Amino acid sequence: MNALPLSLSIVTDMAGSLLIIVFSFLALRYAWLLLRKQPENFLWGFLLYFCMTLASFAISRAIGHLVKHILLFSGKPEIWQILSPISGGINTLLMTSLGAVTIYYHKGIEGYLAINKKARSLKDANDQLGIAAAQLQEMNLHLEEKVADRTMELSASEKKFRNFFNNSKDMVFFSNSANHLLTMNNAGFKMLGYHDDESPSLNLVDVFNNEDELETYHNALKSQGFIEDMEIEFTKADGTSFPVLLSATAVSDEKNQLVGCEGIAKDLTRVKTMMEQLVASEKMASVGQMAAGVAHEINTPLGIILGYAQLMRDDFTQESEEGQNLSIIERQAKACRKIVADLLKFSRQSESARKDLSINEVLTDVIAVTQHSLNMDHINVHEDLADDLPPVIGDTERLRQVFINLVNNAHHAMEQQGSGELTIITRYLPDTHQVVATVQDTGHGIPEKIRKRIFDPFFTTKPVGKGTGLGLSVSYGIIQDHGGQIEVESPVAGDKGTAFHVKFPISLVEAASVRE
Amino acid sequence: MAPMNPLPKRFFPALLLPGLFLLTPTSAWALQSHGGSEGIFVHQLAHLFYAAALAYLFWDIGRSAFPGRGWRYLQVFCVFMILWNLVAFTGHWLGFYIANTDIVRPSGYFSSQLVGPFSSIKIIYFCATLDHLFSLPAIFFLFLSLRTLYHSVKKEDEK
Repeated sequence: MNALPLSLSIVTDMAGSLLIIVFSFLALRYAWLLLRKQPENFLWGFLLYFCMTLASFAISRAIGHLVKHILLFSGKPEIWQILSPISGGINTLLMTSLGAVTIYYHKGIEGYLAINKKARSLKDANDQLGIAAAQLQEMNLHLEEKVADRTMELSASEKKFRNFFNNSKDMVFFSNSANHLLTMNNAGFKMLGYHDDESPSLNLVDVFNNEDELETYHNALKSQGFIEDMEIEFTKADGTSFPVLLSATAVSDEKNQLVGCEGIAKDLTRVKTMMEQLVASEKMASVGQMAAGVAHEINTPLGIILGYAQLMRDDFTQESEEGQNLSIIERQAKACRKIVADLLKFSRQSESARKDLSINEVLTDVIAVTQHSLNMDHINVHEDLADDLPPVIGDTERLRQVFINLVNNAHHAMEQQGSGELTIITRYLPDTHQVVATVQDTGHGIPEKIRKRIFDPFFTTKPVGKGTGLGLSVSYGIIQDHGGQIEVESPVAGDKGTAFHVKFPISLVEAASVRE
Repeated sequence: MAPMNPLPKRFFPALLLPGLFLLTPTSAWALQSHGGSEGIFVHQLAHLFYAAALAYLFWDIGRSAFPGRGWRYLQVFCVFMILWNLVAFTGHWLGFYIANTDIVRPSGYFSSQLVGPFSSIKIIYFCATLDHLFSLPAIFFLFLSLRTLYHSVKKEDEK
């Protein structure tokens, strides 16, 4: 190969120059479109300047090359000699500009990124602000509804606790550090014996019956902040005292200083009474067991004594001294046997026949038997018997004995004063499914100191020989045996009189029909 | 009228130096003359400067991790353009070693030929005259880059 054709270079140069102009302008167009779409984007700005410079360079260079080829082709190299440095100078200038634009681009990028970061941060802040504003707007829109809802909830809550406070059967109170009762519910005032319309200014000093207990209460609140199930006595408005079970919590301020307390007190009177009754019941049960044992042991020798006395009496005349002595022995042995029989009845050892019976009928029989002797002592009998009294299950004879005992006791209580009123009442208690029979007199009443002992065996206030002290004991045993209760109330109305309330459960069949 | 103050005595030496320059300007050498070869030097330096700037742009696009195909096309443009600069630089440089007798035109300009004997300089020079094989793809990738960027922005806006 001797020569390489430069025509290839000339053709490539001319075609390439034309195509470069075309593509550089197409690129410039897209750069312009990009910038128009996002004028704030620095990158598109840079690319537009870059493409503009490049398009200028492409034109300058391509035109220069084309002109060169045309002039050389047409045989005018001298003209190209003149134009060549101008074209080359412009090309050099534009190429340097391209380099400069590219080199300085990074500063622009840094600035753009910094601005972009700030803008993003601002946008985020703006978004957050927008969300907050929307939430605020939403809150404002529903504020009234929310306030109304909350108020309703608060009102319901307040009502609930107010009802609890007002309807509580126990005393609920709030006091300050000076022991003044700031607030107390109606049950509290009622417990302390004040009427509903009264609202006295009270202090715990007035309420606590014992100063030492108040001090203990205070010390406990200060040391441990609360007090639980403290058994103390409160003083009523009339000066009497009653037992209560007190629980309280200290109320402290932000400096942990005691500013008051809130407490609940429960009246223990009923509980105490029940406890006493339980103790008495246990005592009676043990006495009954002992009595049954003694009666059983005495009954046999007593029968032998009575038998031998009766046999020996046949050997002597009634008028003889021996006959009279034997009669005394027989009579006293019989008296002993009656006592033993009574003891057995008290201890429920004897047999009994149970059936449905009417308490009204039992009482009518009792009144019929006793009315004559009562009238002899100017004692008037009043009957207040309920018409629709349900039947009870029991032994008629033994219940009759109970009421005869009670009527006799009433008789004895009134006979010394020369007159009196005996009232017999029957009622049905639907709440407890019980029938209550009350035997009430206007006698001298039972002194408080002996009231707890009246059901004890052999306890009597009658003179020696007038009573065995077993009447009420036996009655108590019979009533217990019937699943009933006996309560004594004395004085009844005013300052005298006694009432015995005897309660029996109604029969199961009747109770079932009542429930239905 | 008050008499004018006479000029200070030290003012005269101060006027002396500029006066000397103005009165005898022949050997001042104030302007540097630029010879004929300076043009090609400047042009070659411009090629190197432009190639260096493109290399920087290539690196910076990678560093900035701009996402999308458009930026990858721009990097391809940089590579082709750098190669074009190097080819053009080489062509200009080797032009000095090509004598007028190495190119003959037996029947006009279009029939120009590079004649032998061929050395590596002549062959490389001949290849360098085909520099559009680099510059044209470079500009084409620039066009592709801008078009792709535009369409991706447009697509994003339409979302």
